[in-house]
Amino acid sequence: MEQAIYTPYDYLPIIVQFLAAAGFVAFAMGVTHLIGPKRHSKVKDEAWECGIPTVGNARTPISYKYFMTAILFVIFDIEIIFMYPWAVNFKVLGTEGFLQMITFMGLLMAGFVYVIKKGILKWE
Amino acid sequence: MTSIILLSVFGIINLFLGFLKSNKILLPAVIIFLAIVFGVNFLDWNNPQSHFNNMLTIDNFAVAFSAVMVLSLALILPFSRSYINSGNPHLAEFYSILMFSLVGAIMMVSYENIIMLFLGIEILSIAMYVMAGSHKKELRSNEAALKYLLMGSFATGILLFGFALIYGASGSFNIAEIASFSSNTTATDLLPMMEIGVLLVLVGICFKIGAAPFHFWTPDVYEGTPTLFTTYMSTVVKTAGIAAFYKLVWAVFPGLNEFWYPTLVAITVLTLVIGNIGAAIQTSFKRMMAYSSIAHAGYLLIALTSFNDYSENAVLFYALSYTVATVAAFGVLKLVSDQREGETYEMFNGLGRTNPLLAFAMTVAMCSLASIPLTGGFFAKFFIFGSAIEAGAVWLVVVAILMSAVSIYYYFRVVMAMYMKEPVGEKVAVDGFAAFMLIFLSIFTFIMGIFPGWFNNWL
Amino acid sequence: MQQIQVPENNAAMALICLLIPLLPFIGFVINGLGNGKLPKSVVTLVGCGSVLVSFLLSIYLFISFPAGSVGYTTEIFNWIKVGSLSIPFAFQIDQLSLIMLLLVTGVGFIIHVYSAGYMSHDPGFGKFFAFLNLFIFSMLLLVMGANYAMMFIGWEGVGLCSYLLIGFWNKVTPYNNAAKKAFIMNRIGDLGFLLAIFLIFMTYGSVTYSEVFTQAPTLPVSSEMITAITLLLFVGAMGKSAQLPLYTWLPDAMAGPTPVSALIHAATMVTAGIYMVLRSNVLYTMAPITLEFVAIIGLATAVFAASIGLFQNDIKKVLAYSTVSQLGYMFLALGVMAYSTSFFHVLTHAFFKALLFLGAGSVIHAMSGEQDMRNMGGLRKALPVTFITMLIGTLAISGIPPFAGFFSKDEILAHVFEHNKIMWAFGLLASFMTSFYMFRLMFLTFFGGFRGTEEQRHHLHESPKSMTLPLIILAILSTIGGFMGLPPVFSENHSLGNFLAPLFTASQQLNPEAFGHHMDHATEYMLMGISVVVALIAAIIAYVIYVSKKSVPAAEGTETGLHKLIYNKYYIDELYDSIIVKPVMGLSTGLYRFVEKGIIDPVVHGFGRITMGGGRGLRVLQSGAIGSYLLTMVAGIILILVLNYIMR
Repeated sequence: MEQAIYTPYDYLPIIVQFLAAAGFVAFAMGVTHLIGPKRHSKVKDEAWECGIPTVGNARTPISYKYFMTAILFVIFDIEIIFMYPWAVNFKVLGTEGFLQMITFMGLLMAGFVYVIKKGILKWE
Repeated sequence: MTSIILLSVFGIINLFLGFLKSNKILLPAVIIFLAIVFGVNFLDWNNPQSHFNNMLTIDNFAVAFSAVMVLSLALILPFSRSYINSGNPHLAEFYSILMFSLVGAIMMVSYENIIMLFLGIEILSIAMYVMAGSHKKELRSNEAALKYLLMGSFATGILLFGFALIYGASGSFNIAEIASFSSNTTATDLLPMMEIGVLLVLVGICFKIGAAPFHFWTPDVYEGTPTLFTTYMSTVVKTAGIAAFYKLVWAVFPGLNEFWYPTLVAITVLTLVIGNIGAAIQTSFKRMMAYSSIAHAGYLLIALTSFNDYSENAVLFYALSYTVATVAAFGVLKLVSDQREGETYEMFNGLGRTNPLLAFAMTVAMCSLASIPLTGGFFAKFFIFGSAIEAGAVWLVVVAILMSAVSIYYYFRVVMAMYMKEPVGEKVAVDGFAAFMLIFLSIFTFIMGIFPGWFNNWL
Repeated sequence: MQQIQVPENNAAMALICLLIPLLPFIGFVINGLGNGKLPKSVVTLVGCGSVLVSFLLSIYLFISFPAGSVGYTTEIFNWIKVGSLSIPFAFQIDQLSLIMLLLVTGVGFIIHVYSAGYMSHDPGFGKFFAFLNLFIFSMLLLVMGANYAMMFIGWEGVGLCSYLLIGFWNKVTPYNNAAKKAFIMNRIGDLGFLLAIFLIFMTYGSVTYSEVFTQAPTLPVSSEMITAITLLLFVGAMGKSAQLPLYTWLPDAMAGPTPVSALIHAATMVTAGIYMVLRSNVLYTMAPITLEFVAIIGLATAVFAASIGLFQNDIKKVLAYSTVSQLGYMFLALGVMAYSTSFFHVLTHAFFKALLFLGAGSVIHAMSGEQDMRNMGGLRKALPVTFITMLIGTLAISGIPPFAGFFSKDEILAHVFEHNKIMWAFGLLASFMTSFYMFRLMFLTFFGGFRGTEEQRHHLHESPKSMTLPLIILAILSTIGGFMGLPPVFSENHSLGNFLAPLFTASQQLNPEAFGHHMDHATEYMLMGISVVVALIAAIIAYVIYVSKKSVPAAEGTETGLHKLIYNKYYIDELYDSIIVKPVMGLSTGLYRFVEKGIIDPVVHGFGRITMGGGRGLRVLQSGAIGSYLLTMVAGIILILVLNYIMR
């Protein structure tokens, strides 16, 4: 294997990208802050609660069902990450890749069925 | 390899079996699954193969230790009757998690790539964090889970850092390549990096097997964890950890053995002393067993310090005999503590009168743990010490034997409580399956003690 | 040299060898499983019968043993095989193991029969016989095994049985503590034994006797390895055979039922240490330093324990210290390389000490459990058989001819005389004290007036047949047992010595001088005369004090009692008291108080206390707070890293 020699200079593009990303965020936030119209009033400065007057502390226990839903969302969302490369290389991977993907999706599906049957997504 | 796949599939099937109305089928089903896995596991005997681009190698070492661990789980589960009777809604999940964690354990003994070792450790550990907290309404169980998680993730971080340094130095995760790098250290200036990596990995694994001075979690976690899962922790997790450790030091870092040897010996001695002395002062039987498991990790570490014809078999034999005795001891504890409050020695008072079978099984287990001849535990220590003497570590054996004299004290305390005190309660109800298992475990212990030759030249 | 002759009917022999230990084991299984369910008659039949059949089989083996052969081994199966380590499950039948077999099964059987009477009222009858059978099984493994591993298994097995039987009356806490003490002390000794086995394996590549002993002479005499091995083996023997400083468990072990004391703590188990040294005699012959050490420890134990025994008031305690003292004699004999003499004393001691213990048991039985001799007296009318048999035992242990103890003890003293005159003098002193305390025991128990309660007097009775019969058999053995080893002045044919001779050929080749020469007859007569006279003087002194003057030891620890004792004497007695009894008594109690209670016990307990203290330290670290755990862990990691870089 060829042993490449890296100098700090070679990392410049990464730094540039970092700066660009951070810069964009900073820029967007700064600009909206600066150019947006601002009207302060007592009502407006209150925490927004669907127009209902705020009650109690914001840091109250939240039903675990929120978290369960969120976690399940993440798990099923992540599967897409595996599907993209497969889709790109669909032809190259051929039947074997297809079968592997079927297995993967089958397992995921089994999980989904399990979740449904277990009643995790039932709100009450 | 097949055993890993089968375990995963069976675990999933088992989850769905949990939706059936009656949970009575679960236990027989899991036992049958495990029996199948146990049998299939031996298909790879004398047929070493690499899988997944040299990620896993199933050789005789892996098969033998997998067999011991699958057997352990099959021996533990019959004591879960109280979960079935109380209609615990999560029973299927418990069984499945244990089966999934077994996959991690098997990966730990068959890794060919240290990434797989790490994955195996994590699969096993995360399952254990969950099981530690499986009694959600119990404060102690929650505390155990949280402690285990916090400390475990800390150790994981250290372990992973160690792996990263090793990778950085050697340029590979493959154990053969790391081994060849570490045995040719004169040619590189990356040695310090490698050495620190090795030390950190040592520390990480020592945490996982509960070796001193990284043992602090053990008593607290073992005590809070529901007994059934404590059994699993002190048998399967320990076996997997030691086997992985053995492979790590002798297959991955053999070239550096002059470097890690003193550290390992120091840890071994410390573990022996702290485990045995800690156990002697406990008033709770379960906590005593936690310290006892630390002590036994120490004896197993002795085998790790020697590498010769005997050591591999000695570790295997020790793991098997320790597992059998520990399962019996915890099994009796579970049965008794389900019906009498507490986990102290006093709870066993007069058990010899009310439940001769339980008392007998416990006595046999204690004798084996205390290494009384004609039980498996005697030869377990005999082989370990023999291999250490062969490697020239006489003084280490002296310490170990002295410490095992201390162990008589705390193991026989429960025996005395059972036979020499007045009973404190009614006869403890024992279901048929558990009774059968206890008889089986006792007989097995004796067989190991009388015909040790049947078990100690597999590898 | 070490040709092992295998008899032609090999399979039959193997079966017999297997049956001898197996039968008691079967007895154990039957009695153990049927505990509390089987009727007492069945338990007795199984318990005694199995040992009796073993005894008969042993006799058969003994008769069919080819004269002059070096013995044979029968391999039952291949037991352990790892790498180059191969340990077969095999029995070694030679002169040593044959006689031990006869002793263990024979005396074992007699004591089983005795127990059937002694324990007849005990609720744990079945359990007791199960343990006794298990003990016989372990002991047989110990003596029959053909390698050190099997000896160790038996060694630990008898330790476990002794633990179970000492704690047999397990409702009482002191008994439990005695049992625990015995077990832990033995484990300390076992540490030495186990290490020795490993060292033997390291040095010779095998633990089988025949292989080790044929290879043994390849190392130079007094090489460090041989010395280390023999010393470590001896540490094991010190624990099991109750030698200084590991002897304190034996007097405490008297908490067990009396038949147990007779069988385990007098006749068989405690002689396992002697057996082990005899078995390894080749190794010991090659280690003169160890031999000297053995002799010194043996002599010190003999004198020390005898002096403590002088003024004990518990009848069983006297016998216990006496046992320790006699074991010291045996080691003394081993130390001066009088191997067969030592074994001779093992045999005669087994007869008369078992007899004395069983006799004491009979007395205790008659006294409804009373063990304090101050509350006995005048029992010879109520217990005639016990009295006569115990008198024979006492004459035997004191070394009065023609009883068994005379010949063996005299032979030991003769060998010691040749080795070292000072040691001989001390040996004689121990012999004097032995005679004194034994006659004191006899006089206090059987002579004078009865000092017990009225209720006890009413209850006095001779023991049943099953108890007196064993006493009579043992009394006969104690009387004639000595004739198997007549000293050279009476007969050139020392039958035991000749029989055992093939065992020691290797030792003899290594060190011919130690075996060769004989002293002239005049010296021999003189030595005999001296020891008999010394024993008689001691007996007479005891008679004067305890029969003529009817003095009874005062309650322990009361100064007035001692004064009273002195005041009630004539002038000569006062003189005797102040110049002999008082210092000796002071020394005796002093040794007991200061050495045993002041040095040895604290060291043993200190080990426990260090353990506990260390544990408490650990408890502080184990606070339960995750933060401190993590901190300790990090400290550990840093320590490891730093040490690793400082150390290089």
